[in-house]
Amino acid sequence: MSTQASTTVAANEARGRRSAEDVENSKTHFRVCRFIIETGVKLGMRSVPMATACVLYHRFFQSASLLVYEPYLVAMSAIYLAGKVEEQHLRTRDIINVCHRYFHPDSEALELDGKFWELRDSIVQCELLILRQLNFQVSFEHPHRYLLHYLLSVRSLMNRHAWSRTPIAETALAVLKDSYHGSVCVRHKPQHLALTSLYLALQTYGVELPRGEREWWQVVCAEITKAQIETIMSELLQLYDMEAKCT
Amino acid sequence: MERDLLRQSVSYHGENLLSLLKCEQNENPDFKNVAADLAKTLNQRNGLPYASEVMQYKDKEDTSPVLEQYIARKADLLFAPSWKSPTPVDEWQEESGEAYAIMPPLEQFMEVSFEERREFFYRDVERGDMLIGRINSVRDFGLFVTLLCTAGGLERDIEDLEIKALCPIRNVPSTGNHDDPLSYYQIGDLIRAGVKDIDRYHEKLTLSLYSSSLATHLNKVKLGVISKEELPLHYTRGEMVATDCNETYEKLLEDSLGLSNPLNVDYLMAKLGISGTQTPSLMRGLQSKRFKEEDFGTAIRKKQSVSWALKCVKTGVDHFKSGRHVEAMNEYNKALEIDTNNVEALVARGALYATKGSLMKAIGDFELALESCPTHRNAKKYLCQTLVERGGQLEEEEKLVTAEGLYKRAVVLDDTFREAAEALEKLQIRIQKSLKLKEQEAAKEQEKSKTVETSAEKLRKILKEEKRIKKKKRKRSTSSSTSSDTSSTTDDDSPSTSRKKSKKRKHKRRRSSHGSKKHKRRVSSCSDKTLEDDWFPAPPNTSASYINQKQSITKLLGEGEQSWGKSRSEDGRGRFEDGTDRSPENVKDGSRLGGPDANGEGASGRARNRRDSSSSTQSEYSHKSDRFSKECSSQGRNRCVSERSRDEKMERAERYSRDQDDGRSSVGSLKKDLPSNLVDIFSQIAEFKKDKKQK
Repeated sequence: MSTQASTTVAANEARGRRSAEDVENSKTHFRVCRFIIETGVKLGMRSVPMATACVLYHRFFQSASLLVYEPYLVAMSAIYLAGKVEEQHLRTRDIINVCHRYFHPDSEALELDGKFWELRDSIVQCELLILRQLNFQVSFEHPHRYLLHYLLSVRSLMNRHAWSRTPIAETALAVLKDSYHGSVCVRHKPQHLALTSLYLALQTYGVELPRGEREWWQVVCAEITKAQIETIMSELLQLYDMEAKCT
Repeated sequence: MERDLLRQSVSYHGENLLSLLKCEQNENPDFKNVAADLAKTLNQRNGLPYASEVMQYKDKEDTSPVLEQYIARKADLLFAPSWKSPTPVDEWQEESGEAYAIMPPLEQFMEVSFEERREFFYRDVERGDMLIGRINSVRDFGLFVTLLCTAGGLERDIEDLEIKALCPIRNVPSTGNHDDPLSYYQIGDLIRAGVKDIDRYHEKLTLSLYSSSLATHLNKVKLGVISKEELPLHYTRGEMVATDCNETYEKLLEDSLGLSNPLNVDYLMAKLGISGTQTPSLMRGLQSKRFKEEDFGTAIRKKQSVSWALKCVKTGVDHFKSGRHVEAMNEYNKALEIDTNNVEALVARGALYATKGSLMKAIGDFELALESCPTHRNAKKYLCQTLVERGGQLEEEEKLVTAEGLYKRAVVLDDTFREAAEALEKLQIRIQKSLKLKEQEAAKEQEKSKTVETSAEKLRKILKEEKRIKKKKRKRSTSSSTSSDTSSTTDDDSPSTSRKKSKKRKHKRRRSSHGSKKHKRRVSSCSDKTLEDDWFPAPPNTSASYINQKQSITKLLGEGEQSWGKSRSEDGRGRFEDGTDRSPENVKDGSRLGGPDANGEGASGRARNRRDSSSSTQSEYSHKSDRFSKECSSQGRNRCVSERSRDEKMERAERYSRDQDDGRSSVGSLKKDLPSNLVDIFSQIAEFKKDKKQK
């Protein structure tokens, strides 16, 4: 039943049809992903572990229902698990502290009492649940390294002064980071995502690259088409619109 | 807002973007400055003669409205000057290990046309760049090089462009052996050179083989002839791709080792100048200025540690009040584990240490607490109290100076703490008193020295006589460690001294060092030399007077004759062995020596102070000390009558040990001491003589 649900959702999204429930769900997911990324920043997480946490979350709810599982708890456990997977170990104490303060701003730090231990237990148990739900397949390929290599290649095409005054790398990485608010990160190949964010960055600033027999993006990703790039780009840009609606 | 960037973007996208920008950004003051500019730019672009062509060219891709919308909305972020992070200028290094995948130039894959590549190359190459080429002819004015590839940052596919560059002879460093520098180079050599000059219009390049022609971040690279192995990786890979048409960019990237490096993301981000943990974002809610410092994990953890530690401290204090000191200490240590250098825990633990008596540990804890929080009232109070207590302890141990230091610190810390100030005053008075006493005694000794001088003179005469007699005998034995002569001489005196010995032994008191015996020996040898010298004036060092006092007492302790005989028999043997009963004797002997002859006494004092022994000289002492002992012992006895406090003796002992190396001063001091001792000694000697005569 869960797999059916996920395919329906995906199918609907692809077709652009979204039921009211889907819309509501995607808003929740947006908020929770925002929570994950914020927590990640406050804990000093690097880009790749943060990406892993979001992907874990999205993949979990591809096959699980929001009615059954508390999304924020799943998010906290996803952060914890991602830290372990990507070798940036985070302490549960820090995760609990930051998350508690997120929900209760300007509150005092938690005491080492029963409630604290219960929270910690629930994170650890949820972690096991996530692992089981995902069949223990928790290592993912992320677009980051592809994007960085593409950036270097594109840099070699440009005049060095043009490069140094145009914040292409920053914009591309920002777009990539923001893409984790939605499930676009799990529905496309990492190379395509990387390519699209770079393409978007170049378009933003109106940078014109030399043109040969093939375009630069055709070289970088052989089988991608312009249409695909456009699709992914529009999905990415939609996320910025969602921000206004959700927060 | 970056004007140029905006202009570029607007001219790329067209009017739609401009109108959208105006819509979205009309509140932004920065934008208003630029808006006028942008309108102008667009007009210019539209008004260009070939504008229509440009438009056609552009029409291939119509910018989607969504994109324009996004650009317009985020323009304040995208075009902000702070958005661009500064590029780090780092030293160019040969990428030995593959931290990331090094790819051939994209131009090659894209199959950019010949003309365009040539045009872009001449546009982008700059002075200070590095190029690699093959020598194709050697003329007398320089080398002609056909460029093979770029190196050191710039990555272009230029091999087939067959660009020729000249490296004039003046830019070729000489090889040092006075030959024509160009003779070193052959046709077909691969050389790495720096770009010295560019004429973009005429498309001419001038190269140089001097390192100074390179840009600063490249100047460590060696220029000149290189081998095939040193060709840059992007070129060799490019060659591979050219030969094998199955190699695509993707495939090459996937297969390269650098892609699998787990740290390549961090490395490359640093290379591009972007922070790993503070990556930029275009979402409004994720802008860095929205995050408060105290929401960060580390800040919360710190505060939490403090609060948890305080809880432990509270339970610890409860334990302490109920008398369970062990549990209290455990709680404090636990608190300090949770939060090291927690002020409250340190203060509480310090108080516990002070109660238990480990004052030094307590002081350590309080000092540490005050370092982090200098205004902690309890810490200051407890520290003062502990310092005063410790000062009291030290006072009893006679470490007055250290105690004074502690009291002063306590007073500095807390001027309202009366006890500290009072204790400090008391101590200072005490120090002054003891100093005064010393001075008085020194003065007394000075006075006495005059009266004693007469007896000293007498002794001197006697000594001189004896010396003359014994010099002949002694000549042999001065250098040798064993001296039968001296022993014989000592034997002569033994009967006379035996009685003295026995008497001296009875009055044993505190002992002096072992070495004093040796000192005695030395004294006699010194006295040999110093007989003719004048009496040394008393040195200003009052502390030394104590040494004499002590010695006088020990003199009294030791019994003259007994020690005398023994010391004689000791000639040439290791004097260390017979410690205890010798030592008072030795001291006595030493003191005795000092009596009649001031010099001798001084020497003995000096000898006493020096612990090292030279057995050779010791033999000499024996007979000298014989004479002296008689006189000194009597004086010593009188001396001991004049009472001094035990404390002072202790102090003297301290200073005595301190002044050991101070030969002269001790000599002098000894002399000071002598006068009063001598009286005693003389009286004693007189007694003995009477006894002898009687017997």
